[in-house]
Amino acid sequence: MMFFRKKKTKLANSNSNIAITNYLTDGLLVFNSENKLTLLNPRAEMLFEVLEGRVLGKSILELARFERLSPLVSLLGGEIKPMEKTELQIKENLILEITSTPIARDGERINTLIVTHDITREKLSDKMKTEFVTLAAHQLRTPTSGIKWSLGGVLDGSYGELNESQKEILTKAYKTNDKVIELVRDLLDVAQIEEGKYLRNLVLTSIEDVIKTVLESRKQEIMNKKLNVEFQREDVQKIMLDIEKMEIVFKNILDNAIRYTSIGGKIIITLNRKEKEREVEIHIKDNGIGIPEYEQDRVFTKFFRGSNVMRIDTEGTGLGLYISRNIIEAHGGRVWFESKEKQGTTVHVTIPIKERFGEFLTGKFY
Amino acid sequence: MKKILVVEDDKFLRELISQKLAKEGYDVAEAVDGEKGIESVRSENPDLVLLDLILPGIDGFEVLAKMKADPKLAEVPVIILSNLGQKDDIEKGLEMGANDYLIKAHFTPGEIIEKIEAVLK
Repeated sequence: MMFFRKKKTKLANSNSNIAITNYLTDGLLVFNSENKLTLLNPRAEMLFEVLEGRVLGKSILELARFERLSPLVSLLGGEIKPMEKTELQIKENLILEITSTPIARDGERINTLIVTHDITREKLSDKMKTEFVTLAAHQLRTPTSGIKWSLGGVLDGSYGELNESQKEILTKAYKTNDKVIELVRDLLDVAQIEEGKYLRNLVLTSIEDVIKTVLESRKQEIMNKKLNVEFQREDVQKIMLDIEKMEIVFKNILDNAIRYTSIGGKIIITLNRKEKEREVEIHIKDNGIGIPEYEQDRVFTKFFRGSNVMRIDTEGTGLGLYISRNIIEAHGGRVWFESKEKQGTTVHVTIPIKERFGEFLTGKFY
Repeated sequence: MKKILVVEDDKFLRELISQKLAKEGYDVAEAVDGEKGIESVRSENPDLVLLDLILPGIDGFEVLAKMKADPKLAEVPVIILSNLGQKDDIEKGLEMGANDYLIKAHFTPGEIIEKIEAVLK
């Protein structure tokens, strides 16, 4: 009696499950323990342009013969790898997000569930947004140069002598315009990141030289604030880097350290080689104002600026660390920090030791 | 008097830099696009060309290439003055034979004059 009731419930369940999958707006594929297809909902039929009757019971590898399914098979492999929200382009106007989840009972895999979510429209609108930002930023460059040139000309006396208060106000206008120029440049960097074409020229480089170049370029600011800057380094072999981009990273991190450390403060930069992990580690430690604890998880997000920083310093676009993190991650590295308000911040960067271009192809490469 | 040819499509920028040059005692010729730029290099005989890169029609790189390919113009010094600040663009400009590469937003007219003087010396 019990047995029958149980069976009946299960059957009813599975019928209503099928009804649900029929109305699901995501494509759904279910494979059994032998990696054979046991379910394909109507949405999946549509996305992959196959009929249920032609593909049910076939093994995943056999499905590669169907044109639209073959990118999915290459992604999942014969053993159906688990994955979460992995982007997959099926054809020109169809991009899916694939989630593959093994379902186990008593430690044994009985089914694999493949959910395919159509993100073509989101991708398109993302692309349009990025293109818009790029276009707008490009269009801003000529006028901001015009303002810089005219104010620069007025300030250097080309248009007649200025009195002190005129000079003062125009200097402020000039500096404000320079801030806009900086913001435009950062916006272009962000747009480039979001278009996913960020690393351009990978060459074998000494990271020590990159840091030295950056320190040299900030000599004036360091002197102005009478900061004590130390650079402690171990010998580190050359690694594959996009020099221009890596300079942006260390400029951004060092600029923060300089800006948010008070006069006479101390900045220590260390460069270490981690043999076992095959990576180099860089620490930039300051004894500045620090980042409030409740804001620390937002530091690497777009347009973040610390609330304590906004009060003392109006410079900075809030894009520097967002850009830096993206550059570091494109190199396969990591960045994080520790910070205590009124005591200082230490930013840590690791970059994997890669000596050949080919090594990037297996990692995360934009 | 040294003559400078300014190839720049934006009217305001062209005016600003031309005024500054005139004030500093230079003879100034202007061109508003690449086509006119290459024409003026031939007709005006400038001592130096201040060259924008993004121009309607043929761009600044092409103007530079045409100058370098013509033995009569190849020796005329060129300073690129552009919005483009990518390392690739800078390297390309210098490799093609420009004497200097200035990013517009990084220099004031006064500083641009200094760069021109340095090249003409």
